[in-house]
Amino acid sequence: MDALRRSLRSPRVLIALGMILCVTGCAMFAGFLAPHDPGDQNLLSILTPPAWVDGGDVSYPLGTDSLGRCVLSRLIYGARTAMLVAVFASLGAMIIGTVLAHVAGYFGGVVDWIIGRLVDVWMSFPPVILSLILMVGLGVGLGKVILAIVLVDWTRFCRVLRAEVLVVTRNDYVAAARLLGFTHWQTIVREVLPATLPLLITLVSLEMAIAVVVEAILSFVGLGVSADQPAWGQMIADARQYVYQSPWNLLLPILAIFFTVTAFNLLGDGLRRSLDARLSETGR
Amino acid sequence: MLTLQAQNFTIGTHVDGAIVPAIRGLSFDLAPGKILGLVGESGAGKTMVGRAIAQLLPPSFAVTSGALLFEGEDLARMPVARRRALLGRAIAFIPQAPMTALNPVLTIGAQFDEHLARLGDAGRNARRERAVAMLTAARLPNAADLLTRYPHQLSGGMCQRVLIAFAFSSNPRLIIADEPTTALDVTMHPPILHLIAEMQKSHGTAAIFITHDLRLAAQLCDDVVVMYAGRAVESGPARVVLSSPAHPYTRCLQLASPQMSEGRRALYVMPDQMPSLRQLGNIKGCHFAPRCPLVADDCRTGVPPMAARTAGHSAACIRFGLTQQIVAGQAAAAPAAAAERPLLQVESLQKRYEIGGGLLGGARSVDAVKGVSFSIAENEFVALVGESGSGKSTIAKLLAGIEEPSAGNILLGSEDLIALRDNVQRASRVQMVFQDPASALNPRRRIASIVTQAMEAGNRHTSWEERLKRTRELLAEVGMSEDLASRLPGQLSGGQRQRVNIARALCSIPKVLVADEIVSGLDVSIQAQLLNLLARLRAELGFAMLFISHDLSVVRHLCGRVLVMYRGEIVEQGPVEKVFGDPQHSHTKALLSSVPPDDPQAAWPAFTRAS
Repeated sequence: MDALRRSLRSPRVLIALGMILCVTGCAMFAGFLAPHDPGDQNLLSILTPPAWVDGGDVSYPLGTDSLGRCVLSRLIYGARTAMLVAVFASLGAMIIGTVLAHVAGYFGGVVDWIIGRLVDVWMSFPPVILSLILMVGLGVGLGKVILAIVLVDWTRFCRVLRAEVLVVTRNDYVAAARLLGFTHWQTIVREVLPATLPLLITLVSLEMAIAVVVEAILSFVGLGVSADQPAWGQMIADARQYVYQSPWNLLLPILAIFFTVTAFNLLGDGLRRSLDARLSETGR
Repeated sequence: MLTLQAQNFTIGTHVDGAIVPAIRGLSFDLAPGKILGLVGESGAGKTMVGRAIAQLLPPSFAVTSGALLFEGEDLARMPVARRRALLGRAIAFIPQAPMTALNPVLTIGAQFDEHLARLGDAGRNARRERAVAMLTAARLPNAADLLTRYPHQLSGGMCQRVLIAFAFSSNPRLIIADEPTTALDVTMHPPILHLIAEMQKSHGTAAIFITHDLRLAAQLCDDVVVMYAGRAVESGPARVVLSSPAHPYTRCLQLASPQMSEGRRALYVMPDQMPSLRQLGNIKGCHFAPRCPLVADDCRTGVPPMAARTAGHSAACIRFGLTQQIVAGQAAAAPAAAAERPLLQVESLQKRYEIGGGLLGGARSVDAVKGVSFSIAENEFVALVGESGSGKSTIAKLLAGIEEPSAGNILLGSEDLIALRDNVQRASRVQMVFQDPASALNPRRRIASIVTQAMEAGNRHTSWEERLKRTRELLAEVGMSEDLASRLPGQLSGGQRQRVNIARALCSIPKVLVADEIVSGLDVSIQAQLLNLLARLRAELGFAMLFISHDLSVVRHLCGRVLVMYRGEIVEQGPVEKVFGDPQHSHTKALLSSVPPDDPQAAWPAFTRAS
């Protein structure tokens, strides 16, 4: 906990948290912030550039797309989709991966072997292809995107955490806890988990960045959220056909993805530096 | 010309922005062909001297004044190229951990060849012949065959012999040996020391021998320098210094170590521990004054200079005339005779490990414990001794319930411990104290939470007030201040951590305590504190203990009965005095003969240094 408090003093973490707060704010208050409904079409003014460019319209600050929808409003509502996916997909992947990693690393033996091989087989599928196949099977929708990412990415947590659990479990204090009468469950939760928690938090932060990218990819190919829900990947796909007439429409969602992913990566990196005991003395 | 001469040698480091001397004003002379012992507890600065010679000082440590002259040249100030030419050639090293000093992926032959090529021996065949000759000189049989082996195929003792052969192959004029036997089994100590002394003699090499063991230094060294908190406190001929120490620290150290001969006596306990670099600045005058039994007001006014007591023997103490008057309290009561009724009974216990294979088969099995039977009576301390790999720790794990036996019974009274599945119930019967407190204490828990961890187990919902109350009781029992209850283990010293480790095991008031090498990693003065603590707790709380140790003098001091293990079997058992006085099995004899005699003047039959 000291380390967590210490990490809040690192500039990396503070900047990242600021950026994430921006995106989260947009996602939460999209209804208030967006000047238009993201689905409203104004076919009389399609592909208008942002307001500061010649021919821009003040009522559409970032211009309109090929169907005359407000780009700013779509970006703001897109943040909602991105953040929902980022939070729930990474938490879901974390829960599955963490539980399996702790079971495998703590008990070892046959259990570890089975979980280890499962992860190996799972990881041998290319992740994007696997999620595309899953989406084809599951159908489109926000919940399905989250489920697909969880099913693909739990292995990331499982593999990295299992190694950490192995190291922690080898400490005598874990054996001592058993001797003092702790059950396996108590031992894992009170002795092992607190030691793996810093790594876990770092991984969740990095996984959020990955989830944002994967969601964009799925939306881009039209296998993400349903068509009436704005998503950054969808916006890129739409703007792709009119890139010569209106490059802004392509650039803006890309910048939004870049901004969000950078924020999560920065947070993950900053947390890793302040939480990792091995780096704590010198590497910071 | 002297081989090595330290002149007012000082190493400084930065602590909290100020420069603190880690070694202060060290002076000694080492003549060719002689062995100089640097002795003292950890933190005394003895290893720093070896590191300064090798130019391996940790970052932020640097030589600040004085000189360290190798044949007249100052090692600290010579050009890098010159130093490189000396190190590994004229000055060679024997490392502390032989297993990790060799490259695991190269054969001994490849590594020896590389070493000799670096020394300038031309011709592959000539180098090979030289390697075989050196390994044979190091008493390694089948040297030619050994060249094709990898380090993991050799025992620790063999690796150390290979490294000794490496070190002497350049005909060095100075050898630095930093605790060369500490990582090895006790039975390997005399032959390895004998080999070092023999090679040193035949090559006419001077040697610096760094050790914490005063008895060993008396046997091996010509001269010794006793160090305390970065300063030499006493120096002179080894046998003179150690048979009639002039500095109170040397005297106290000797009185703090348990003896192998004569009657059982109380251990002298120095209060506290050696000051850290950070604390040194706050101590006025003599650094030993806060722990010294002879301390007087004069001691706190200035640092006492080295004063000659007799020719060649000097001590940095203004009251050295009184040193011999320090005595270790009255003799401790002999351990009570074992009760008739055995408390813990172990019957033909076996443990077999399956190695390798996995699901695809091809497993082989190793018998770690082969049908061991013994019993421990109520309130009895029984020792388990033997070399590493003999199955001592496996027995500890089986008794504690960390591992399940392949066959056999463990009975506590009339209750079957193996069948006892309830963890909480089991916890109040047998507890284990682990060897390494750094690993045995969760670094994230406060001390209060660690010592009362047993109260967290099961479905008991103990209030925090109750736990704090128990914490105060337990900390008082192990002699710690209750102010420490809110600290983290990382903020305690090694001795304090081991006390916490013991307190935690005592929380559920177990009937039997299994202690695996619990004083091995500690310095003599801390070890004495803990041994006295265990003896006191035994009288107060009345538990029985299986005390696993490789240190026979500690066993003799603490325990009434001893079990000797060899290759998974108990080969000899009986009362300590009887087994140690008249050993029957060859392994017991080997263990006993590898302990240097208490009397610095007496001969050590297992090791004789040609003079």
